[in-house]
Amino acid sequence: MKGKMDKLGEKLKGKEIRIPVDLTVGVVFFLFAVVVMLLMPSQVAVSERDVVNGRAFPELLMWLMMACCAGLVIKEIVKIVRKQPLEYKTINLLVELKALIIIAILIITYVLCRVTDLFVVGAVFCALAFLIYFRCKKPLYYVITVGLAVGIWAAFRFLLNVRF
Amino acid sequence: MLQHIIPASGLLFTLQNILWINIGVFIGAVFAAIPGLTVILCVILFLPVTYSMSAIPGMMFLLGIYCAGGYGGSVSAILINTPGTPHAAATMLDGHPLSKAGRTKAALKIALYASTFGGIFSALALLFLGPQVAKLAAQLGTPECFMVCVFGLTIIAGVSGKSMVRGIIAACLGLLISCIGSDPMTSYDRFTFGVNRLYLGLDLAVCLIGLFALVEIVSRAEQKPGELHMDTKKMHDNGAITKEEYKRMARPTIMGSLIGVLVGIIPGTGASEASWFSYSQAKSMSKHPEEFGHGSVEGVAAAESANNAVTGATLIPLLTLGIPGDGTVAIMLSALMINGLNPGLSLFTTQGDIMYAIMLGLILVNIFMLLQGKILTPIFAKVVSIPQEILTPIIVIFCFAGAYSVNKNYFDVCVALVFCVLAWILRKLDMPPVPILLGLVLGKMTETNFRRALLISNGSPKIFVSSVYCWIFIGLIVLAVGTILRGKIKDRKAKAAPPKEE
Repeated sequence: MKGKMDKLGEKLKGKEIRIPVDLTVGVVFFLFAVVVMLLMPSQVAVSERDVVNGRAFPELLMWLMMACCAGLVIKEIVKIVRKQPLEYKTINLLVELKALIIIAILIITYVLCRVTDLFVVGAVFCALAFLIYFRCKKPLYYVITVGLAVGIWAAFRFLLNVRF
Repeated sequence: MLQHIIPASGLLFTLQNILWINIGVFIGAVFAAIPGLTVILCVILFLPVTYSMSAIPGMMFLLGIYCAGGYGGSVSAILINTPGTPHAAATMLDGHPLSKAGRTKAALKIALYASTFGGIFSALALLFLGPQVAKLAAQLGTPECFMVCVFGLTIIAGVSGKSMVRGIIAACLGLLISCIGSDPMTSYDRFTFGVNRLYLGLDLAVCLIGLFALVEIVSRAEQKPGELHMDTKKMHDNGAITKEEYKRMARPTIMGSLIGVLVGIIPGTGASEASWFSYSQAKSMSKHPEEFGHGSVEGVAAAESANNAVTGATLIPLLTLGIPGDGTVAIMLSALMINGLNPGLSLFTTQGDIMYAIMLGLILVNIFMLLQGKILTPIFAKVVSIPQEILTPIIVIFCFAGAYSVNKNYFDVCVALVFCVLAWILRKLDMPPVPILLGLVLGKMTETNFRRALLISNGSPKIFVSSVYCWIFIGLIVLAVGTILRGKIKDRKAKAAPPKEE
């Protein structure tokens, strides 16, 4: 298992994706603002009697967001036409895979807490999962971390009266 | 002012408050000493603890964390050449060379004394300037309040990232998220997508846990494995500072404190900007500029006094206008509001005793930071070497427990996770998270003032240019945008320029 993971790590280590930041931000948030504008009538109820209704402020924000995004996109297009260098962000696939694993640990911890309705179960899983993620081989670290996980649960449960 | 000081002292000097100050100072210093753990993360994690407290002990606890965090960051900067917090980076330049020269305890002492001076100077500035600014703030009507919010958001959007436009987009996103829930003026639900729980809106603390704390855990994916080790033998010098060194420290400490206060009052700027600015000023004014970068006591004093002098100053716009000076105090705003303390002049008149107790408490916080620093610095130094394997899951468990305890509901934990993923995606797109935080904090205030002003004017936007104060704020916004853009263009030109040949 370890060997396979190391191999996969080695494979992904050099793999990188370069994204033009401003162009991506411009396009993504422009589309986001358009979607919010389209959703507005179904999500924000208004009364005809209102001089300034509940849609005014979010609409203003979305228009501002679209204007900023349009500005970013135009600026980047001008740069492309003039053959000037764009600002790129490099995304390393190995880093993203590791980030996904961490997010998965967080989600499983949440699901365990919710399903069992016992926070300590999720806390102990979280402690063990991160130690395994870091490939920790020291038994003392396992004892300390699990002990602290139970300790935090107990402190919240019995000292701060948080029932979970 | 004097009529409030005596009752405020009575409220402040209780065993409970002193205990919470000391707990806060200890936690803040320990957290900030660990590289990668920031003061904002610490305040977010411990915010739920204050929910069951009244205003004074709650604020004392958080201010203890905030102030001691300023000093704690310098411990690892001096010992292992890694700043515990971003604002300790300037301290590192001279603190670590001093440590390498066998003067670790002396360097830590200089940092502690300068931090304490800066902190007390800043607390006094808050005590004397706060009520005056509040009086001025009382003259502002709804359109002016809206302009104040726009001013705060513009500066923060401008300075917190590489691109001002991306900052504005992030601020819009934060403001939009603050619209989720019931309409503040009509109580109709907005953007709830049929989820009843969203009618109450999103809790600020829960969003922050995702945006700032959990995302730091995900960012562990970017770090290479390895532990930080510290040689504790480094601490075996006697820590003596000569009279000559005290004399040399005086000027940069006073100047750094002044710079820290001035920078801190401006929303969006923070301890990092203050410490670098103060460091460069101290270098240019020093009789021994050649020592800077090689263990100058003036360099350590200038950087540390400035970054702690920001603490009280950032509270001035927060307590008077409701505009947080930086991300950390934005979180403290929710601790105040939970106790029914809304920023503005009324806070200084109707709740004057509590307000003065908090402002006086900031002085007390700095005194206890000095005492703890003198006694407990060896312990702060030891935590620098806590391994990431243990620290990471413990922070996650704290985050989850904190998010749950806000409303005793797992829905909030889920919201924190959603914000964590959102923050990670935004980080990949180089979008700064601080404007989102400010958008979340100022959202309701901005919208309410915007709509009220338009209601008064029957829908005419001319109301936003109807008074002198409005024009003053428009002028300030234009000035701020101009200055920020000029700085960014200068930076870009400097980067584009070919490197000078040696």
